[in-house]
Amino acid sequence: MTPETTHLVIDALPAGYSSKPAGEPDRAAIVFTIDGAEVTAPEGLMLVDAAKYGGVEIPVFCYEPKLGAPVGACRMCLVEIEGIPKLQTACSTPVRDGMSVVTKSPRVIEAQNSVVEFILANHPLDCPVCDKGGECPLQDISYGWGRGKSRFTEPKRHFEKPVALSPSIAIDRERCILCYRCVRFSQEVSEDYQLVLLERGADAHVGTFDGTEYIAPFSGNIIELCPVGALTSRAYRFQARPWDIEQGGSVCAMCPGQCNVTYTVRDEKVMRVLQRDNHAVDDGWLCDRGRFAYQAWESEARITQPLVRQGDKLLPARWDYALDVAASALKKAGARSAALAGGGTTNEEGWLLRRLLIEGLGSRNIDSRRGGKLSADVARTLTEPDVTLSIPDVEWADAILVLATELVDEMPILDLRVRKAVNHRGAKLAVATARPSSLDSKAQITARFAPKAVDAFAQALLRSISGEDLGDLPTRAGADGEEIAAIAELLKGAERPAILWGEKVLYYAGGAAPAMTVANIVDKLGVKNTAGAGHLQIPVQANGRGLREIGFLPNLGPALTEEGDGKSSDEIAAALGDQINALILMGVDPMVDYPNGAEWDDALAKAGTVISFSTWLDGTAERHADVIFPLEVGPEKEGTLTHPDGRLQRLRQTVERAGEVNAGWWAIAQLAERVGLDLGVKVVHQITAQIADGVPIYAGITPEEIGGTGVRWQERAAAGNRPAPSRTTFDLPEPQAAAQPNGSLRLGTFRSLWGGGDVEHAATLAPLVSRTRVELSPADGERLGVNTGDEVTLNTESGEVTAIVALRDSIPTGSAFLLDSRDDGVRRAVAGSPALVEVVK
Amino acid sequence: MSLPEANVYDPQADAFEVQRGPDVGGAASFYRAFGETLRGLKTTMGRLIEGPVTIQYPEEKTAVYPRFRGRHKLHKFEDSDLEKCVGCSLCAAACPADCIRVVATDNDPANPTSAGERYAAVYEINMARCIFCGYCEMACPFDAITLGHDYELSDYNRSDLIFTKEMLLAEPIERTPLRLEGE
Ligand code: SF4
Ligand code: SF4
Ligand code: SF4
Ligand code: SF4
Ligand code: FES
Repeated sequence: MTPETTHLVIDALPAGYSSKPAGEPDRAAIVFTIDGAEVTAPEGLMLVDAAKYGGVEIPVFCYEPKLGAPVGACRMCLVEIEGIPKLQTACSTPVRDGMSVVTKSPRVIEAQNSVVEFILANHPLDCPVCDKGGECPLQDISYGWGRGKSRFTEPKRHFEKPVALSPSIAIDRERCILCYRCVRFSQEVSEDYQLVLLERGADAHVGTFDGTEYIAPFSGNIIELCPVGALTSRAYRFQARPWDIEQGGSVCAMCPGQCNVTYTVRDEKVMRVLQRDNHAVDDGWLCDRGRFAYQAWESEARITQPLVRQGDKLLPARWDYALDVAASALKKAGARSAALAGGGTTNEEGWLLRRLLIEGLGSRNIDSRRGGKLSADVARTLTEPDVTLSIPDVEWADAILVLATELVDEMPILDLRVRKAVNHRGAKLAVATARPSSLDSKAQITARFAPKAVDAFAQALLRSISGEDLGDLPTRAGADGEEIAAIAELLKGAERPAILWGEKVLYYAGGAAPAMTVANIVDKLGVKNTAGAGHLQIPVQANGRGLREIGFLPNLGPALTEEGDGKSSDEIAAALGDQINALILMGVDPMVDYPNGAEWDDALAKAGTVISFSTWLDGTAERHADVIFPLEVGPEKEGTLTHPDGRLQRLRQTVERAGEVNAGWWAIAQLAERVGLDLGVKVVHQITAQIADGVPIYAGITPEEIGGTGVRWQERAAAGNRPAPSRTTFDLPEPQAAAQPNGSLRLGTFRSLWGGGDVEHAATLAPLVSRTRVELSPADGERLGVNTGDEVTLNTESGEVTAIVALRDSIPTGSAFLLDSRDDGVRRAVAGSPALVEVVK
Repeated sequence: MSLPEANVYDPQADAFEVQRGPDVGGAASFYRAFGETLRGLKTTMGRLIEGPVTIQYPEEKTAVYPRFRGRHKLHKFEDSDLEKCVGCSLCAAACPADCIRVVATDNDPANPTSAGERYAAVYEINMARCIFCGYCEMACPFDAITLGHDYELSDYNRSDLIFTKEMLLAEPIERTPLRLEGE
């Protein structure tokens, strides 16, 4: 990682560990001697880490505990251990009680000098033109443990200077010291199996086996892992030096993963995004979207000033004017107004918007979800701390079920945690999805069900767990009864089962049935009193959980109390132009984000005034918005978010807002003032204080308490303020049967990580945005006479769209999966959730 | 616990013999009273016949020593005409006055600006803040920046004192005479 983390001094617990996950074993303390001092350290650590407890630093290159077992490739960490004649590698020798270690004897120093000299023998030493210069472990170690001069006069090895490993990463093979870190990341952590070490001896270098680009969801992590300047970010290339920059910690709000990040800032611009290791959230990794999408923030396409529609044109306007226009429309609409929030909307923005609507306009039509209302009991049951997991709990669970979610696209960072659980913590994994998942290869059991038949599948699983007869449920789900039984066995047999499920299913399966089924399953598993067992709901929106808990729902108030009876998002769509005359969209674009986007397109056309807080001029903003306020991007924001596991995290402003962008909360406060409501906020922390006052489960929370690593509300005393659900099991409606193909194919949709304005406008990510594609099984491909790369037309009952075929072995025959994007054709074709699709060549 | 031997301070160990001059009285006293005074007067009288030493600046200028540190210059390779500076910012890191700003960028391999992979797209020195310490010259791994002899840097406008890359690359007008060897 960055030099700071390479040489970090470990505390007893990694950052963010407020309490140890239930499954993690305790470590006994042992005493050993290092350089003459007696040191107490936890058992089982490698010497390198144990030495830090005695304040002794042992230099390393290849050792990185996050990559799994040490490989001992670089020999930088040699130490002398009493009783062993040869020097040993401290990175791969576990500390033992009574061990006596010397790290500063002449023998060790000679060995360290020689290793540095050996590594530098083939190193170009182009520090002045090397992006790593100034934060380079090789520089630091050469200074600290090297001889200071070289005896090597022969020519060094030469490779072509930096070549593109991918659109985002450049590799300079001359600088590589063959530490294997990047290769191990690719092979053992992200398991994309693309990077290998090619050739042998002096010709050895890192690359992909067949020379193709290294495209993977987590590829950017190797830049930070590389201890030298061999792997560098092409977007950051030559942008700044470590002494030219400032680092600011915040949280990425692009997906529910909410990874902790560090923004590198120069001249009020974000130059790169680095990980900020928080064991309880991201384990020190980032996905490429979080790492590289920052480039979009500087793009010309970003909206940086208010726009007001005049006639059919959107014209730039002054804030005052835009606010006046919006406020007068809201005032006129009064109770006939509505607001939707989503994306990275902070708790603070949500809170003020909620107050504006309820107190200022007398309207209860607010929603941050789709697909109808959740009853208070369902919502509370799913939030009960006893049965909800933290992220470290997932790592230490002994059986994990991934249900109806593709983690790598919906909460990428959790994908890595599940892999870690399986690879290093011995968890058993079951994957139950309609579309083949990237986790399939790690799973003991994979079950497929028909697209949109998750409800029937979940109910079959519930029955199987209760030992009841499955009846015709497996057929209705288009699934295999034996697979369902095997998953049930796995979950029942586990001490700490964990169910990870995507909230998305609620939108496709209609109503809250799958959520109730999950609640029943958790209840049946009887894990209420088992710490570290339960479920984790993966929201669709980055701050879905926070918005729900502060009461941005039509029927529920703060902390999921019953309050009001407004219209849900779907009902708002239906009422637009008729009972609803003004609509505020906060960071959400129904045309693109909602499954029924095409219906929204039609509904919005009838709407009175649409006020949109947007970053990009597309979708709803472009077509229907009457007033557009520019939205802040990640590093411009200040506020709090709630992680899907209940951890409140803090966004901190690190750069000036671009152009005329103003804080979202400020704009809402201004609107409120104009409709005659004084919200009483001048700075953002006043809103946090109002939330701490108004949301019982967040009672008394302060930004200081949240701090840099966040705090789970379930672990605070105020968690006792939550209203208990009156029931925790639910009567389930009869599930819908999966459609019978009858010659056509069942249609499923999926979203890709590589989509949305942030990705499309980021120079090095844009090439990854896929054209509209449809995935078919090879058998269906043969039947239809199409092959990968062919263009086909898809006909659904709602419309038609052209797509490129991708044949995948793992796709079940009889199903087709269409990449859902903001493309108009796709949005039309999937409107109304059609069950079947006809593929025409 | 008693302190170890070596740590006990013994003032006697630091005592040394003071050298004193001859005793008061006699020839020595006389010399002291008049001899030294006359020696001083000799210098004064000497200056009286030397003529004026004031230099008529700016018509006339003091010559500077060869290692005098004045206005900076960025260098190019004489053969290839490529800039020596690769925009590594080491000078900026070394600068105690924090008056150098470097923004580097990629070299176009077909039409390179510098001899390295990168070059300085922006290179500015704020002469109003520079203390002419020469650290930038020492830090530069490519001898791309050196301090010249020109000390006439005043201007009417602060912002004109921010020297851009073009100004630093241009041959400075040598307005300052150099002292000859041994002068
Ligand atoms: S990798 Fe480190 S030591 Fe090697 S050239 Fe780059 S900065 Fe210098
Ligand atoms: S490219 Fe970097 S991380 Fe990969 S083996 Fe070489 S030095 Fe190690
Ligand atoms: S001479 Fe000293 S103060 Fe002036 S630019 Fe160079 S390093 Fe900075
Ligand atoms: S003048 Fe020298 S030290 Fe300064 S940026 Fe250019 S090459 Fe680097
Ligand atoms: S750090 Fe121990 S061998 Fe590389």
